[in-house]
Formats: sequence, C-alpha cells, structure tokens
Amino acid sequence: MAHINPSGDQELIERWRDQPASLLPLLHAFHDRDGYLSDDALRAVASGLRIPIADLYGTVTFYHHFARVKGGKARPRVCDGPVCKLQGCDELIVGLDGATAMPCAGRCDGPIPVLQDDEVLIGTQPGALTAAPPLVPPPNPGGIDECVFAEVRDPRRKTLAGYRESGGYRALSRAVREMTPEQVLDVVSGSGLTGRGGASFPTALKWRAVREAGGGPKTVVCNADEGEPGCFQDRVLMDLDPHAILEGMTLAAFATGATRGFIYLRYEYPATQGVLETAIEEARAAELLGTSVLGTELTFDIHVRRGAGAYICGEETSLLNSLEGKHPFPRNRPPYPVTNGFEGTPTAVNNVETLASVPPIVDRGAEWYAGLGAGEHKGTKIISLSGDVARPGNYEVPIGIPLKTVLYDWAGGAPEGRTVQAVTMAGLSGGFLGAEDIEEATLDEPSMRARGSLLGAGGVMVFDDSRDMVEIARQAMSFFAHESCGKCFPCRIGTQRLTERLAGVAGPKEPELWKAEVEDIGRTMAAVSACGLGVAAPGITGSLMRLFPEQVDAHVNGQRK
Amino acid sequence: MSNPLRDMEKPDAIFCIGTNMTEAHPVAAMRIKKALRRGAKLIVADPRKIPLAKKADVFLQLRVGTDVALLGAMAHVIVREGLVDENFIAKRTENFAALGEHLKEFTPEWAETITGVPAKDIEQAAIWYGEAANGAIFYTLGITEHICGVDNVQSLCNLVLLTGHIGREGTGINPMRGQNNVQGAGDCGALPNNYPGFQPVTDPANQAKFREAWGVEVDIEEGWTKVRALDECGKKIHAFLICGENTVVSDADRAHCEHALRSLDHMVVIDIFRTETADLADVILPATAWAETDGVFTNTERRPQRVRAAVPPPGVAKPDWWIIAQIAKRLGAPGFDYESPKEVFNELCELSPTYHGLDWDLVAEGRHHWPVPEKGHAGTPVLHIGEFPRGRGLFMTPSYRDPAETIDDDYPVWLTTGRRLAHYHTRTMTGRSVGTEYLVPEELVEVHPDDVADWGLEDGEFAVMSSRRGEVMVKVEATDKSPRGTVFCSFSFSEVPINALTGSGYDPITDTAELKVCPVRIERATTSV
Amino acid sequence: MSSDGSSNGSSNGSPTLTLDGKVVPFETGETLYEVARRHTSDVPTLCYDERLEAFGACRLCVVEIEGFRSPVASCTTHAAHGMNVQTKTEKLEKHRKTLMELVCSENPRGVEIDPMRGHASQEMTDLAQRYAVDGTRFEGAQSGQSHPDDPNPMILRDYDHCISCYRCVRVCAEQEGDYAISIANRGFQTQITTEFNGFLKGSECTFCGQCVQTCPTGALADNRALQHTREPGEVELTRSICPFCGVGCSVDIMSKGDKLVGVRPAMDGPANEGALCVKGQFGWEWVQHPERLKNPMVRKDGVLVEASWDEALDRAAEGFRRVRDTHGRHAIYGVASGRAPHESAFSVQKFIRAGFGTNQIDNCSRA
Repeated sequence: MAHINPSGDQELIERWRDQPASLLPLLHAFHDRDGYLSDDALRAVASGLRIPIADLYGTVTFYHHFARVKGGKARPRVCDGPVCKLQGCDELIVGLDGATAMPCAGRCDGPIPVLQDDEVLIGTQPGALTAAPPLVPPPNPGGIDECVFAEVRDPRRKTLAGYRESGGYRALSRAVREMTPEQVLDVVSGSGLTGRGGASFPTALKWRAVREAGGGPKTVVCNADEGEPGCFQDRVLMDLDPHAILEGMTLAAFATGATRGFIYLRYEYPATQGVLETAIEEARAAELLGTSVLGTELTFDIHVRRGAGAYICGEETSLLNSLEGKHPFPRNRPPYPVTNGFEGTPTAVNNVETLASVPPIVDRGAEWYAGLGAGEHKGTKIISLSGDVARPGNYEVPIGIPLKTVLYDWAGGAPEGRTVQAVTMAGLSGGFLGAEDIEEATLDEPSMRARGSLLGAGGVMVFDDSRDMVEIARQAMSFFAHESCGKCFPCRIGTQRLTERLAGVAGPKEPELWKAEVEDIGRTMAAVSACGLGVAAPGITGSLMRLFPEQVDAHVNGQRK
Repeated sequence: MSNPLRDMEKPDAIFCIGTNMTEAHPVAAMRIKKALRRGAKLIVADPRKIPLAKKADVFLQLRVGTDVALLGAMAHVIVREGLVDENFIAKRTENFAALGEHLKEFTPEWAETITGVPAKDIEQAAIWYGEAANGAIFYTLGITEHICGVDNVQSLCNLVLLTGHIGREGTGINPMRGQNNVQGAGDCGALPNNYPGFQPVTDPANQAKFREAWGVEVDIEEGWTKVRALDECGKKIHAFLICGENTVVSDADRAHCEHALRSLDHMVVIDIFRTETADLADVILPATAWAETDGVFTNTERRPQRVRAAVPPPGVAKPDWWIIAQIAKRLGAPGFDYESPKEVFNELCELSPTYHGLDWDLVAEGRHHWPVPEKGHAGTPVLHIGEFPRGRGLFMTPSYRDPAETIDDDYPVWLTTGRRLAHYHTRTMTGRSVGTEYLVPEELVEVHPDDVADWGLEDGEFAVMSSRRGEVMVKVEATDKSPRGTVFCSFSFSEVPINALTGSGYDPITDTAELKVCPVRIERATTSV
Repeated sequence: MSSDGSSNGSSNGSPTLTLDGKVVPFETGETLYEVARRHTSDVPTLCYDERLEAFGACRLCVVEIEGFRSPVASCTTHAAHGMNVQTKTEKLEKHRKTLMELVCSENPRGVEIDPMRGHASQEMTDLAQRYAVDGTRFEGAQSGQSHPDDPNPMILRDYDHCISCYRCVRVCAEQEGDYAISIANRGFQTQITTEFNGFLKGSECTFCGQCVQTCPTGALADNRALQHTREPGEVELTRSICPFCGVGCSVDIMSKGDKLVGVRPAMDGPANEGALCVKGQFGWEWVQHPERLKNPMVRKDGVLVEASWDEALDRAAEGFRRVRDTHGRHAIYGVASGRAPHESAFSVQKFIRAGFGTNQIDNCSRA
C-alpha cells in the first residue's frame, strides 16, 4: 500500500519529537489522523523517535484501544463492565454495527457508554444513543462537610474565573508566597491524607521522599488512569473541577521541588482531555503554571498524556513505563518512583482525588481535614456506587462511616422488591462482601482488611438477590485476565485458569476438587504475584467460595453430564 | 587490539571507522551496543550506511579513501578546542609541535570539500572523542585496504596521542582482526620481516637465536610480501606453497593473480576443499579442518586459545603440521620430528618472547593476553601502559592524497568492497552451510535508488560492472545503504568475482591492496545470465 | 532489621545475612538469588539468565524474609545486612509446585524436549520432574502459537512450548542489541513476535541464535542440530573456538559418534560470554560436506588425480627441490593461513626458513 502522507508524518514527528513523554501523543496523532495505526505509521514513529520497530509494534498491540486496521478507531466500543452487563451491553454490542466490547469505561452510574471515535455516547438501544453529559454528584445527601465535592456542583467551577471565585488558587498563592515547602508538607502530613487511588500510602511521606531524593528534574504525575471497574469519581473531578487538580499538582511540585508534571489520562475519557487542556491553557495564561508561577521562583508545567486502554497502567510503575514509551509492564521495586520514577528521576505519582484534596487542605488546614473523618479516621473518600441500587452515583463520605449508611440511607438500597445479595469493594480488587459484612463494615481500610477486603479506590458495585454470583465472579476474573499484563506467571496463567473454571469450560467436575484447584491457584497468586493485579484477583474467587458455597457447588455440579 | 574485548563496553565515546563491525565482527559489536545502552556516544565513519551507522550519535559518511582528511580535521578541532591532554603529550609523545603546524590547514571546512562530511559533524565527532573521559577507536580493513593505509593508521594514532586515550581500561586503538587466526599467523612469524614473536629477521641477535635453535643457516634479509611475490611469479619466484587460502578469489586483481600462479613451476596447496586456487596446483594435500584438528588460535585481543578435535577427518586428511613436516623431512630439513601439535606449539613458545610464559597446557582455558614474557606472568590485557614499544609516541604528519585511481568519464562510479554477515570470505565454508546460504544466496551490488534510476539500471536485474582490469555481471539492489555515486559489493561469491575489478594500487609500505576503492562503470546487462 | 534494600556493613566490614539458618557474607549490590545460588544450588527459576537484568517474571525463586508479609522474588531483591532468609520452606515449595503446575498446564503434554534444541532447553523439563508435575492439573487453554510457516532453516519457532519468560526478548535486546523480537498483546494472549509478526528473515534478526540458547523450554530451537535427532548415540560436547572471525568465541562442538551435529556457544567463553553470530552458530555444515578433500591429488598429464600420501608428498618435495636447485632458495614462496591453527603457520614459516634458508614467507593478512 502506498504511504498515506509521508510529509505529514514528518510534521507530526517534529511536533512531538522533542516533547517530554512523546511516544503516546505521537501515536495518538497518527491514530487520530489516519483512523488507525498503519504499518507505515509505526515505521515512521519508530524511526522518528529511534525506537526499535519490533518493540514499538509489540507495545502498540499491548493497548486495547489502538486500532490496527483501517477504520478501526471509528468502530464503536461498548462498555462491558459488570454494571453494564446488568444493563444488557451484550445485546447492544450485537446490535451495533462493527461494535466490540471494551472494559469498564467509568460511567457505571448511568446508561451504557459507547466510545465512538472520540465521542462518548450513552444508551441501551442501538438506535437511541445520545451524547453523554458530565454527571454531577447527587446533592450532598448526608449533609456532612465535604472536601473535594464542596464546590463541584457549581457549573462555573470549571473555568478559572469560577474556580477562583469559590476560593480556588488561594491555597497555592498562600503556599508559594507565605509558606515553605516544609510547611506545606507538615500541613498535608497533619491532615492524614493518604493515597485515594487505593494504596493508602501517606501523601506527605511520599512527597517528602521525593523532596529529599537526589537528582532531577523531579516530576509530579497525576494518575488519571481510572481503570478499576465500578470507579468513576476521578472523571467527575476532572470534568467538573479541573483547576483543583492543577492546583493540587502545583502544590505537590512546590512541596517536592518538581518542575514538570504529567496527567496520565485514560483513553476512555476523550472529553476530559479537552477540559484539562483548556484549564492548563488558562492557568498558563494566568501565570499559575510556567517558568514563574505567580511571579515567584516556582517553575512548573503540566502535560496531559492520553493512555490507550490498559488497566495495568493505573499501577504507578506501569504508568511510568507507558509515559516513557516503554512496554507497560510493572517495574520491579525497589527502587521506588520516589527515587527512580519518570526517566529514572524522583517522581511523585498521585491519584486525582488525592491531588484535588490538597488545595482545600492547605487552604483550610490539617485539623479541618482530619476532622472530616468519622471517629478516629481522618478525612473523606469518594465512593462510586453503582449496580442494583436506587440512586447510583458518587458520594463523598467521611472515612469510617458505616457502609450501610451510604448504601441504604443515602443511595436508597436495592431496587424495589429486591434485597442486596453482595457488593464488591475497591471496584473489583476487594472481592465481595456479603449481607453480614454489609451490616457491620465501616468504610475504612482497617474495617475492610479485617473482612479480607479493601476500600481501595472506593468503587462499590451492588448485586441484588436475583444475580448469579458465579457469573458475576466470572466477569470479574475475565476482566483481570484481559488486563493481566503477562509479565508474571501466576497472574498471566492464574487469571486465565480461574476464568475458565468460573466459566465452566475447564477444570474438575467435582466441587471439592474444583475448590482445591481454585484455592491453590488463588493462594499462590495472592502470595507471589509481582503486582497488585495478581494479588487482588483471587480475592474474587476466595470471597465467592466463602460467601456463596451453594452457588459454587451448583455451578460445578451443573457441569456434570 | 591495544585493549581487550571486554573493554569495548566501557568507553564514554566510541569511534568506529572503516569497520562494519555488526557484520564482520558481530560478537564484538554486541559489546559496543552494550556501551550504548549505558549511554556512551557512538561516532561512526564509513562511506556506507552500515548497520552500525543507524545506532550512531553522529555518522560521518565520508567519500571512499578520504580518511586522512577527515582524521586530520578531527585532530585540528581537538587542538583548536583545547581538548588535548597536555600532560600526556609532554610525558609520552614527541613531535607535537610539527603536528600542530601540519594540522593548521586541516580545517573542518576544508575537509568537508574533500570528504563530503559536513564540517559541523566533524567538529561534533572531534569534540565528543576529545572530551570523553575514556575514548576508544575501533577500525578494520576500511582503514588499511588503501594505498594510504599506513597514513590512515598514523592519523588515528595522532588522535590517540593528542587525547591520551590509551593505556587505560576502556580506551585504546583497536584494529579488529578479520580471520580467526590471522593474529596467530603473524605471531608465529608467517611474515617476511619477522621471526615468531615479531623479532625482526634483520637483527643479527635474532638470526643467531634461530640459527642455533634450528641448527641451520638463516637468511639475513627480509623476504617479499605476497603481493610482490605474485608480481615475480615466473620471474624470480617459481614455487608456491599455499596453505588454506583461496588466493584467486580473495586477492585483488584476479586476472593478474591467476596468471601469476599459472606461471609457476611448482605449486602445492594444502586445503580442505578444492578451491578455485587449488584447481591451479600441481599437488593438493587434504587437510583436517576445524572440529577435526587440535591446535591454538589467537584472537584479536591477543588471547591464545585452544581448538580441539571433536570428529574424525574425511578420508585420509591430515593436520597441516604433519603434512608440512612430511615434505620437510623428504627435503632433509632438520627439526620436523613432531609427533603432536603440542610439540609444535611449545617450540613456538620457546622461541617467541611474546609467548615465552605460555605452553600448550597453559593456553587450555585461554586466560592470557600476550605478551606473556615468562612463566607465572598473568598476561597483558592492556598494552602501552606507561610506555610505548619505541618509548615515546611519535606524532606523524601524513598528508591527504587521492586514491590510486579516481573516477573519470570512463569509470565514473566508486566501488568499495567488503563483507556480509552471513558469509565468510570466499564462501568456501558458509556457502556449504544451509542457514547462511539461505540468508544470502547470491551477490548483489548495492546502488542508491536514485543512481539506479539515473544510470538506467533496474532493481533485481543484472548489470555489467567493469574496471580497468576486468568486468563482472551482477544483480542490482537498490538501497540507500550506498551513498549516491558509490556502490558496494562483497567478494564472497565466485560467480561475481569482484576482485577481477580491484587492484588499482597498493600501500607502498605494507603492500596491502586498495580493495576499498576502485573506479568502475555500471551498465544494464543486455543479456541476462 | 533493614528492609529497604540498602546494606549496611556489619561491625567487621562485609555484610552478612542468615540464609536457611546459616550466616553468610555477601557483597553490596548482590541480589538474594545470587547469594542463595552461591550457597545452595536449588532455588528454582525459569526466567533468570545471569547475563540479563533480573526480571522477576516466573516467581519460582521466591523466598521468605522475616518481617515481610509475603514471599519476595529473590532475583529482584537486594540482599541487606541482617536479613533472615528462608529459601525452602514447605509453604514456598507448595507455591513452587503450584507455579510449575500452572506453567506446565500451558505446554503440550507428553512431549519430550530434545536436548539438541538448545543449551537451556531442559530447564523446564527438569523442574517439572523435580516437582513431580506432568501438566495435567489446571488444564485449560494453551497460550503459545507456533510459527511452522517461518521458512528459515535455522531457528525453529515452536511457540507451543513458550512460557513467556521473555528471556529471548531480553537476550536479543540486552545482550545482542538487535531488538528484533518483542512482546505482542498481553496477559494470556501474549506472544513473542517480530515487527508486524513477520518472519525472522527481513526483520532485524541477525540469526545469532542467542534466543535459542537461552530458551528454557526449547520453544526456540536449533533447527540445524535437530536435523540430526535420529543420529544414533549420545551428544558429546568438545570445547573449542569458532573458526570464523578474529573475535575468538568459545564454542562447544556437538557430536554424536563421528558425526558433527551442532555448535553451541560456551557460556563461560572469555571473548563471547555465551554469544555467537549466525556463522558460528549455524554455519558449520561445511565441515562434513561431501565435497571435502578426502585424498591427496597430483597433476598427471595436466589433470588432477587422486594419489597416495607417499606419492603426493614425494611429488611435493621433489618440485620444491627442483626449483631450489634450478632457481635458488629465494625462488620458493610460502603462504601461511590465517585460518589454520598456530601449528600450521609456525610449520610453514619454519619450513621456508629452516628448509630453504629464505624469508619468502607471508600470510593472508594483506587481502
């Protein structure tokens, strides 16, 4: 085939070659221009960026969303996450011409999202898809003081002017003019803020490690690769309150000494990229970013980098490899990103919600934020609630509040005539909680860990008593298998074998043998997998067998002919 | 090589000139690629866009035969930019003042007009090499196979002496030896001017030593080089013993070479195949091959290592040493009562100062780099630490000269020759192995696509390529590996005897043929083969 | 106890740790696997090749460290002073058995891996035997997809046996520096690939064979050696040096009886450290080629005909004698080979110098 546009190739390469983290945006530039990534495009990129062609080819095939056939980018991708399954996404895929499935696209609180080119449509019927509006969190149902959601329901908040009107950039101005980085670290430390993406690592500790690490330039990365099924809070924050994230990153830069920032945004949020880039332009124009932030010596700028469809890139070291244009396998640790992050330099990787929490914390003080938690717990967490629940959506809750308060009092519990059979926690990574756990658990890590689960990124999917829990587990495991990077043996093979057993296509036909196999695989995966994916995945089968032994027996016995 | 192979992973700046290392010395090139992963800078100078050029930080695509101009300009820049190692120059060199004067006219801009390499690239290369904490030079026949081969090497030595990149780990000047034991052949004294261990034959002390060792009268004058001997065939030379060389195909100017060998009274060939050269012999003696022979090879980093027989030879083939001893004994020569290769090798060690500390058993594991002057010596991985063989390093002042023949209206294209990864020399071996033959089943002349069009050639079709000495038919491959106006061919295929064309001139000191430069004419073949 | 990978020397200098109850010294920067391998030979692994950066894929080398919640991969964990490390607890062995059951479950069962496939080809088979695993537990889909269509006669791409340890990909990048092969797709769909999933010829592959020799399952195999599978006898290895260029790579010549059946790089070869190129690895079939010279030949009536050694040697000597007597000693010229061993070149120059009293001797280095 003749080369499409070699001179255009050169322009794209020149546009990106000397930019930081250039591979992904350059690939997207070709992907957008041609509607797919042709062999010639890959050859041009490989030679333009001096990447081995075999490596580039392999890395491109790693990502779900890079189309390799002509017209591929425009073909509809339909979310087949657990909640969209409940809404009938399988029928939608069959009904839409050329459609394929995509893993959970982060809109579990509404109709099924369909990604078509760079537009997100929603609906459940092929002929009735409509543009997807940004989803505003339900009005503060608990009437409790909020942190990140306090102002987001105001539509003006999205613009720089509106953001400033409601107190935006007050924290940054104060920090860069009146505070030392050490003081900012103290405030964040005192607030008890920990990583809201799921790892719960103390934010100030991470920042201090970056600050004290040798070498540079230092980097702040906002992990906006919100890929956990059932989690959609980061999208809402970015769409409605982009400046809060920019301000949080700039405060992180001030505290750590970083000079460059990246927002690594998942592919499935195309509109969000525009929102962030507009906000960055506004901030640059107002000298809130750039070589002299607010007229001080602080130099910091932010680049948005769009992912291409890989759950594992939410794992911080995979994310860094992806940014650097490498194969996005997780890295071995130590060394950790705080000393050896982006291009080997000290890097703070923080989640969106974490960063958005920082400006109010610096503005209103450590004690204020710490006091938002319930009892001994500090601060708040957004819970994304979806599935068989009356009022799905994002709820900012005091950490430590009872799960049932949010599930029943705020969100209205199961739909009429149904009862809640189970919920997932941490999206899928916390496995299932059953009725007893739901009664007793509070929304904090100690409570969750005591029940063999995780609060994690705060995704809670609800399944009522009509649902086949083995099938739900199969979908969950199938997601993990689809997203396993393939680097470590227990995860690569284990997720596959567990999926096959949950689907009933392989494995013993005797319940006891079946359970022994599933337990053995799960135990080894949890103990020796190289990253969190392989460690978390068997939580699904473990909790399934613990909570729903009869359904498991019926599943295995049902296979017997 | 002044430095061991493992040092190739250690320099900060690597300068490869006239070496298609990834194809001719692939396993050594691996180490350079490792250095690059570590962040070393790579400077590549070659007329062709060889695979190594793609990995280079700066690629100096010079016109064939203009190395002296390029290297002089690099030296000029190193002096101009103050990148010389003054301490090294003061302590370990002489004649620096003369070089400084000599280099004045070698501006990068002047060199650009000769070499075609942009002045700024020459400057960049010189600065990287000059600035490096450890810089190392690697070269092969692209430097030596010229009428100015000695000048080229001296120009490289000047860079080394200016910067002091020698006598330390990760530095040095490193010619890569092409054949498995060509280093060894020299070590063994298979040279017209040296006894084993590079002991000059004209030195009376050495003459006395060998007279006594062998119990015979020895010649007190140097012999001739093979090139000169071929010229004298049928005149002053009347018998040849050729051991394991396909002279007819590998040497320059095939017609001349064949004619020379045909004019001999007596020609004995010891080989493993009936080569084109063996066909001309009066007697062919079948030798055991690799995998059938016990012995010693010395590699390019001066490391003697043992080879071992694993399988029996075909027919009645015998080891070379046995065959030669049999002939010698028939001629009544003393000292050929060897019963094993071990005895031959140990005699070499006795007589050679560079091997004196070695013996057959000590080289079993290949742990030493020569010189190993006495037993118990650990060997010498890095040469020239503290002192050069002549004491101080001498700056020479070579000037640029054109190749022996330059392009003109009759022969308007530069031909340069070399090797391909899959084949070894004249394909006696690799042409008889399934895998290597699969990769490169035929010879192609590499021509720039624009030249293919301009000259009325066609990719994949036959062309006639001729020089002042002969012509060959060869298929054309359009590739931008070749620059415009220069074409490339290997000499591996007997069907495309490229050395029918070469032989325009020889280095006056070493008698090495200018195989890297030969003006030719290329026309589309009217009839196909 | 230090758990952050840094190693502080003990009071008397070199740092130590406790390995299976014994206090052992180590050097700063060493991984637990390196330390363990020095003291006990049986920490299993499938993704480790000492020439490559530690990768941590197979997880078989996991060890327990006191104070750590989960086992850690010893190949990617640096030794630290004071660590208390267990390499062979019941729990670890159970995980290893499960891992072996998993990895064997994606390999076709009942296939003996011919040791001629490559240097490391028995590693998985050996471990399967050690853990008494036959691949029947955890049955399910197979992940490999072989490339029987690749027409190259050197590297067999039998990916049905591939376990995605990426040693081939890593050796190609880190050792050979060719980056010819890479990893396509992800998870269980992972495949070893070339650019655009094409054949090896036409890719950046130089057929050095290093991928073949590091493959722990024989999925990549030496297809030249495999031509001699049915040859009777055991494979014998003879250490030697490659006959091609001047680098002097150490090789192990593989023979069965009188038959040369292959060549393998010597992992401890000083010049090559386990590497070879296409010529050394695959270009050896000329040795026992039918066209080899088997008998001496002499020219009779203008034609070369076979002769006995005595006849040929007499003819050779007689010719030299005649020329010496007619034209003098300087009329005889010797060309030694840069291809044959020292004993050849030394003999040729001695023959010319001592036999005739002339220095008319050279070797092929000028061409």
